[in-house]
Amino acid sequence: MSENQKKILEMLANKKISVDEAYRLLSALKTETGAPEDGGSARTAGKPKPKYLHVCVVPGHGHEHDLDAEVVNVRVPMALIRSGMKFTSLLPSEARDKVTDALNEKGINLDMRNMKPEDLEEIIGALGDLEVNVVNDKEVVRVFVE
Amino acid sequence: MKRPPMLMRVQIGGEERKFRLWLPLFLLVPLAILLLIVLSPVILIAVIIVWKRGRGSRLPSVARASLGILCSARGIRAAFDVFCSMPGLRVEVCGNNNKERVYVSII
Repeated sequence: MSENQKKILEMLANKKISVDEAYRLLSALKTETGAPEDGGSARTAGKPKPKYLHVCVVPGHGHEHDLDAEVVNVRVPMALIRSGMKFTSLLPSEARDKVTDALNEKGINLDMRNMKPEDLEEIIGALGDLEVNVVNDKEVVRVFVE
Repeated sequence: MKRPPMLMRVQIGGEERKFRLWLPLFLLVPLAILLLIVLSPVILIAVIIVWKRGRGSRLPSVARASLGILCSARGIRAAFDVFCSMPGLRVEVCGNNNKERVYVSII
């Protein structure tokens, strides 16, 4: 809930404005911000579609000038991830079963046998919120989507 | 419709020598397809000979099935789709205080 929405509701609670006025103000606020009505898709609807997945590894603080320090910067287009994941649908069922079993052994509950194109889009859409930062003495690893 | 990548840019730089290459993928793809068409009868004959001698059956069943699918029309289409999704891919590795650098970019 935004600050403006809170203020409107407070004014309504304090009986400074009527219910109709509050409704009109809230509607005007929604049109202004362009926020959709449903809450579920509201988080993703306003966001631009993620284009690239970045993986950056840089030396940690104080290790920038080490001789063995390496900087790795990888940018992977989301379209490539999408195509790569579609490629898995071509795997023979035996191989898919083996992959699923191996993932389950590692505690990852991802059933590749029942994966549909809609699920794939949902996974890729969810990557938009992804940001991983791993910091240790020697290096900093950042995984993010832009 | 997706378009195949146009260029691959490769840069390898050391302290003394630097190597830069712009690879025109749009020229290499037709050549590769042409080569594949020309060589396909030879590949087919080689596969039949290897299979008849019984060496193919030694392959694990998963590998055999995977090879079959990858060589099918669906597999080739999916591989082409992956290839067409490559523009924008960028890999950069720097070491030795940025004195050595490997950079690969697909445009």
